[in-house]
Formats: sequence, structure tokens, C-alpha cells
Amino acid sequence: MDFADLLVNAGRELFAPATAAFALAAIGLNFHFGLTGLLNMGHAGFMLLGMYGYAITVREGGGMLLGILVAILLAMAFGLLLGWPTLKLKGDYLAIVTIAAAEFVRFLGRSSVMKNITGGSTGIRGTDFKEPFESLSPFPSEQITIGPWTLHGTASTSWWLVVVSWGLVALFAWLFWMLAKSPWGRVLKGIREDEDAVRSLGKNVYAYKMQALVIGGVIGALGGILWSFGNAVQPDSMGRPTTFWIWTLLLLGGAATVFGPILGSALFWMALVVVKGLSAMFIPETLMNATQREPFALMLVGVTLMLLVIFRPQGILGNRRELAING
Amino acid sequence: MTTTIDRRVIVRAIVVFLLAATAITLVSVIMSDSAQATDAAAQVVAADTSGDEIATTDATGTGQIRWLQQLVNGLAFGTLLALASVGLSLIYGTTGLSNFAHGEQVSFGAILCYFLVTPQDITIPFVPTSFNIGLPLVVGAIIAIAVSAGTGWLQDKFLWAPLRRRGVAMVQQMIVSIGLSLALLNFIQWWIGGGRVRLTIAIDESIDLGVFSIGRQTLISLVIALACLGGVSWFLLRTRLGRATRAVSDNPALASASGIQVSKIIRLVWVLAAGLAGLGGVLLALYDNGTAFDAGARLLMLMFAAVTLGGLGQAFGALVGSLVIGVVAEMSTLWLPADLKVATALVILILVLLVRPQGILGRAERVG
Repeated sequence: MDFADLLVNAGRELFAPATAAFALAAIGLNFHFGLTGLLNMGHAGFMLLGMYGYAITVREGGGMLLGILVAILLAMAFGLLLGWPTLKLKGDYLAIVTIAAAEFVRFLGRSSVMKNITGGSTGIRGTDFKEPFESLSPFPSEQITIGPWTLHGTASTSWWLVVVSWGLVALFAWLFWMLAKSPWGRVLKGIREDEDAVRSLGKNVYAYKMQALVIGGVIGALGGILWSFGNAVQPDSMGRPTTFWIWTLLLLGGAATVFGPILGSALFWMALVVVKGLSAMFIPETLMNATQREPFALMLVGVTLMLLVIFRPQGILGNRRELAING
Repeated sequence: MTTTIDRRVIVRAIVVFLLAATAITLVSVIMSDSAQATDAAAQVVAADTSGDEIATTDATGTGQIRWLQQLVNGLAFGTLLALASVGLSLIYGTTGLSNFAHGEQVSFGAILCYFLVTPQDITIPFVPTSFNIGLPLVVGAIIAIAVSAGTGWLQDKFLWAPLRRRGVAMVQQMIVSIGLSLALLNFIQWWIGGGRVRLTIAIDESIDLGVFSIGRQTLISLVIALACLGGVSWFLLRTRLGRATRAVSDNPALASASGIQVSKIIRLVWVLAAGLAGLGGVLLALYDNGTAFDAGARLLMLMFAAVTLGGLGQAFGALVGSLVIGVVAEMSTLWLPADLKVATALVILILVLLVRPQGILGRAERVG
């Protein structure tokens, strides 16, 4: 592998559907953390529920629209259930409960009891649920090369998916921008800065937090569906590390900003490819073999998260004065 | 911090347990129609394929009562879990930090012990030679625990103490601990690989006590664990330093004003917590017949469940909570497939927060 290949691969990550899926999930998390200051540590759980809701509905012949509706309803119910006991408590409790609930969803999904419904630990194959989405594709069903990149026109990680997922990201980034500057968004920011002050103005803080949690969760579920179009429904791909990655890329781009999640996601996936590529080029096989590159790159992700939070909590695009992390 | 475990606490623990049992029974009844056909087969499959096995489910021999066996397993597992969660609770109590990297402390102890005792060839990242150390298990375990405690000291000295001095918000520190957990988890995977490793190849011979059986190794582990937990309790209740620790946990500002050196106490708590986690890791690896890079990460949720159940920051609460979680997790396998063990514990965690967010031992105060 030389530098040209590395550049092409890194460039592919910039517009890859996975990048868009994580950007969309991060926009959801931005509603939670960026706007409202909620510590949702179970975002992968929302994504997984969305994936399951869509894939199972479609597999059982429910059609695409019904599938999306089911995914949205599941995420709403999950958000309401989680918020009900915890939104009145300190932030730590929401963090612990969301992470526990997300793990619960994953454990239940991969358990042998649910094998007939969720496919157990192997999950649901792409062929079972991707067909309705791919049949909508206007692109020809063949490999299409644009510039240095070749992707399939319609199947799996395709140009069709690229167009749809970035369209959705743009739509929800716009929605975030509109909502964040609306009176509703200003109340949420107020809650983030000083909950008691907002309460003293007569606002129902609990209800506002709940709305933010549910909206962010639904966006997370949609991100999960996008992810599943490029891959398959696999419960273990949506474990705790996934949540932490979304946190890292949100904080990297800048919480509470419109483009932060998008920039963060692009940089995150590009950096992973670059680190793995560079370590393959410069570190000899005797010191680090191919299987060790992945954990090495992810270790750097963890270190990045620590350094970011300590030294630049506002991220790349964020505003230091509007420091989102406090409490 | 409460110093006595009064009768109400025990009643509450029992109520939580009974509620859990009822919930599990209900779920199993609801699920039974979908699961009936696959149930028996699935349990066998789950027992040997599931990667989330925390403890091995022993096949029960004749003349043994299965629920009693599971109760004993649960108590044993709960005791070992308590070693890890007491530290987590102490850290929360004294500094207010929910330390998400505590699971990796547990894995680190176990993996380091493996590194020191295994007769197989091992490597260190970036060092191109492989070698083996092959110490006896006991010596290796002691070194591993000492080094674990040392990492606690290092962490507090170079990471957490500077952060506290800079006045970094608690939420920020919590996210730092998440980053640390991600870094450590992947470092350990890089170091030792993704597979399961065993500390000892000796087979744990089980002692048949008529109505239940228990492994010899497990029994020794339990004695060590109970001795350590007893030691910690004695330290907290009877020594000056322990009293100071509890004072810091109650009210750092007031403790500081009365002449206690809060930063030193916190340093001590970190050393203690990391050492206990290392010990817990080694003993759980023995109990579990093996360990892996993510063994601690899997336990983290159970630890949080135990600590929350007992009341965040209450050292003795973590003990009671761990026992309840251990027993519930093991007993749930009587009704539910083994791979839902952890899920059951997480449901209890959520239920407890619904009705009693301050936990079993916590004072009834506003926690919001």
C-alpha cells in the first residue's frame, strides 16, 4: 500500500454511508448532550432498536414505511421508559441507566430466547430486509466509478445509499439548526446551563428534557437503520464501544454546533483508516501484525477522547464560551 | 456513610430479591410459549457458545438441589464481584466520579497475572521478542495485585489529581474515564489478543457436600475474598485512616476543615480500589476458568448495578448490592437461559432506580 491508495481510501471515508450513519446518530446525541446536557451513554441502544424495528418489520412483509414507523415508535418508547425514572435525578443516574438499558437491549437481542425474532447473536442477514430500499434506487445495478472510487449502484454500500444517507444528514442538520435557534431550543440550552433558573421561570424542565431525549433517540434510531443498510443487523456491532465512538466524534467536531457531528464523523472514520494505513506502512510486521492494528487505532481513539475532554472540550467548531460540558 | 447494617436494610435486600424473582418468573411464563421448543437445546448451546458467560454453570449431579447449588454459586460470584465494586463505590464516595475505567482495572489484574504465570510465550507491544516468565500462580497473583494497586496510585497522581486541581467538572472527568476505559480495553487487546486465556491449567476439583458442590479453587478464592472484604471493613470502621476516609466520603469540605488531608485520603482510596479490583480480577479469572481482554468490561455493568443497588458511594452498600446481584444473576438461570444472566441484573438496576434511587443503604435524600 502506498500513499496514493491511502489517500483514496481515506477520501472514501469522507462520503461513506457509515460516516453519514454515525453523523446522523451524533446529531441525535447532539440534541441530548449538546443542547440539553443529558448524559446519554446508551445511544447505540437507540440505534440497535431502530435497526431491529425496521429489519424485523420488513422481513415479516410490513413494507418500508411501516418499518421506519416501527423503528421510530420503538425509539420513542425506549426514550420515554429511560427518561421516566432518571430525568429527575442527577446526570450520573441517566448515564448509568442508559448504558445499562442499551446493554440490556443488546443482550436480549442476542439471546437464544429471541432467536426466532432477532436472529440471536448472528443477527439478521442483509438479504432479509434490504430489498425494498434497494428497489427504490434510480441507479443501475452495476459497479459505478466516480473519480478514483468505485461503488455498486444499488446494493449494500452503494451510491444510492450515499445519496440517501447524506440527504438525511443534511435534513436533520437543518432541523437541528432550526430547532436550536427556536424558543424551544433556547429553553433546552437554558436547562443545560442552569436547570434551576429555567425552572424558576415556570418551565417544565422534566417535560423539555423528555422531549429532547425522545427526539435525539429517534434520530439515533434512523442512524441505526442507515448503518444497517450498509452492513447487517448485528447486535454486537452496537455495543458500548459504538456509543463511546459517537461521543468521541461529537466532542471532536464540537458539541452544540450544527456541523460538529458531521465534521467529527468524517474526521473520525478518516483518522481510523489513516492510522491503520500508516501503521501498516511504517511499523514492521514483527512489531505489529495485522490483527493488532485495529486495537492500536482504537486505543488512540480512547486517548483522543481523554485529551479532547481535558484540553479542548468545545471541539473543533465549538465555542469556548458556550462550553457544553459542565455540571 | 452508614456504619451499621440494620434490619431494614436486610428487609429491603430481601424485597428487591423477591421482586426480581417474581419479575423473572413472569417473564419466563410470557416467553415460555416461544421458547419451549428451543429451551432445553438452547440452554445447552448457550452454556458453551455464549461469550457472555460470567460464570460456568456447573452440571448438577445426583442428590443435589439445583436451586441451592445456584444460590451457592450466586453467593460465591457475588462475593468476588464485591471485591471489584467496593472500590468503585469508594471512589464515587470520596471523589464523586463514576469511574467507567474500573472494569479495565479488573481485566488488567487478571491479564497481568496471566502474563506473569503462563508457561506459554508472551510478548509486549513494540518489543519484537517473545519470552515467558512462568512464575508460580501465587507469586504472580501477588505481583499482579501490587502492580494494579500501583496503577491506582499513578492514575491519581498524574491524571485525576491534576484534573481535580484544575477544577474540571465531574461530568468531564466521567467522560475522561470513558476515554481511559476505551484506551485500556484496546491496549489490553493489543497486548494479549482477543482470545480467552487461562491462569492455570489445573482442573478445579469439586468438593461434593451432599446437597451442593463447590470447587476447591473457588473455596480458596472465597476465603481470600472474604478475608480481604473483612480487612476493608475493619479498616473503614476501626482505624483512624478509615474513619478519615468515611469523613471525606460524607463531606469533603468539612473533613478538610477538620484537618484531614483530603488529597492523601483520595490517593489512598485509589490505591485500595485498584488493588481490590486487581485481586477481584485474578480471583474471578480462577472462578471463571479463564479470562479475556474484555472480562472486566463485561463486569462493569454488574458492578454499577451492585453499587447503585447498594446506594452510590456506600462501601457496605456495594457489598450487599453485589451479593444480591450475584444471587439474582445465578438464580435467574433456573428460569431463564444462561445468556440472559447479565440482562436480569440490568433490569433490577433500572427497577431499583424507579422505586428507590438512593439504593438499599442510601439515605432518603433528594438525589436530583
